[in-house]
Amino acid sequence: MSPSALLPLCAGIGVLALPFALSDFWIFIAIEVLAFSLYAVSFNVLLGYGGMLSFGHAAFFGVGGYAAALLVKKTGLSAGLAFALLPIVAMGISAVVAAIVGFFSVRRSGIYFAMLTFAFQMLLYTVALKATGLTGGDDGMTGLKPPGALAQPLVYYYFALAVVVPALYVLFRLVSSPFGYTLRALRSNARRVQYVGVDVRAHQLATFVITGAFAGLAGAVFALSSGNVFPGWLNWTASATPIVMAVLGGVHTFLGPALGAAVYVVLEVLISGRTEYWPLAMGVIILALVLLMPAGLTGLVRARRSA
Amino acid sequence: MTADGEPILRVESLAKRFGGLQALGGVDLAVARGEFRAIIGPNGAGKSTFFNTMTGLLRPDSGRVIFEGREVTGEPPHVLARMGVGRTFQITSVFHDLSALENVQVSLLAHARRAWSVWPQASTLYAERAQELLALVGLAGSGGRLAGALAHGDQKRLELAIALAGRPRLLLLDEPTAGMAAHERIESITLVHRVARELELSCVFTEHDMAVVFAVATRITVMHQGRVLAEGTPAEVRARPEVQQVYLGESVTPQGGCA
Repeated sequence: MSPSALLPLCAGIGVLALPFALSDFWIFIAIEVLAFSLYAVSFNVLLGYGGMLSFGHAAFFGVGGYAAALLVKKTGLSAGLAFALLPIVAMGISAVVAAIVGFFSVRRSGIYFAMLTFAFQMLLYTVALKATGLTGGDDGMTGLKPPGALAQPLVYYYFALAVVVPALYVLFRLVSSPFGYTLRALRSNARRVQYVGVDVRAHQLATFVITGAFAGLAGAVFALSSGNVFPGWLNWTASATPIVMAVLGGVHTFLGPALGAAVYVVLEVLISGRTEYWPLAMGVIILALVLLMPAGLTGLVRARRSA
Repeated sequence: MTADGEPILRVESLAKRFGGLQALGGVDLAVARGEFRAIIGPNGAGKSTFFNTMTGLLRPDSGRVIFEGREVTGEPPHVLARMGVGRTFQITSVFHDLSALENVQVSLLAHARRAWSVWPQASTLYAERAQELLALVGLAGSGGRLAGALAHGDQKRLELAIALAGRPRLLLLDEPTAGMAAHERIESITLVHRVARELELSCVFTEHDMAVVFAVATRITVMHQGRVLAEGTPAEVRARPEVQQVYLGESVTPQGGCA
């Protein structure tokens, strides 16, 4: 078997066997890694493939989280049914919100696009904060629990895996499809792509909605694992997270941001357990990594391969 | 469809103002099927504005653009492209970080209305047809190279292949030889001319180099200060005193060249 086929096989076995080697605490972290992998990859389909730097991607992660929380706590559906509907509902609601935000935002490009997404995110943050009756306001929504056996971290890990892996596969198909080719062309030269007959705004909007829906799915998976959602999920500082993950892992490979998410989450756990100045330490480490590896972690691997 | 004798492109008193500057002061143009029309004029004559206003990049203040008998004034570029109007840019416009082959594939996919197809893998779709188009413009061996790494002249050829992939019936070329060395220009416009013949395209191109213009143009429109100053066959245009005037001291002859 060739080494290139061996790597995904080993990775697959590793991911499946992983929770048996971990304590409950670290299984919980592994679930977080899965959720943030999907979040970061969805963000990077926008940035790395579409050339759209959104400062508001956290809004959709947060909307997905709140959608999950509301579905489980407020609809009165049985726990099992609510849970079964979770992926569809979280994606659906995030997609609708992304369609509204995107409709206005993709009319501008570059920094103006970024500012519009930022503004909409602040709006949604304020809603989460002030609509106390619905969202619990500043206290967020807590005590969320998946039904039955899924409440065990080990089982929930496999649930998260069963959601995240197909979702990543769908996004991978998307970026290598004609739609994805057109998206890359659009990033490369938006004017030229218009003149081959592509409706640039519509293409950007579709990408915005799709990536928003997958960010929402990631938020829902994470919400039920962590057991709560807070308005802070939608705060503008939260939108820096997928940016850092994507850049850290490398925006030029499909799975780079997933690797970035894993490194980010694990570093955060390791460092925050040791010092209250952990954001400072994180900042220094990320700064060093980005300066030393401008193409991200995956860029480093690619450079060594081609050397 | 269009009646016989209906020009493929008709422009009626197209006007565009930028603040205090009347960039286009009511331009009329009629291009017959199969024509190879040159639009010439000194810098600032409004050639590029005219192109951009015709192709939906800028909205005209007044006037009409009619393509194959249908009014297309102010239609956005992607709609024009789908109707059969292709264009290239003065500053070469390709997809730099895609391979040359992918550049053409993107255009073929858009033309086939498959830009929204989300499941099939694009890498092999229309690869053969893309390769043929690359060969047609003389880039047979460069398919795998990044467009941004190609030499300037090759990028111009690639842009032509991108435009041709959309199977246009009218091709608008904004200074197709801009930035080329003198000896490359004739070669380059001859290529466009040959391909246009083969594919039965009508062409409109702007150009500074008189040698290039007189080598291929079937008719010439001379623009000056946002208006049409003269129009006719190359021989007619060359004989017009007001054209000589505009090109003040520069000889409008095939030998002379006016760079």
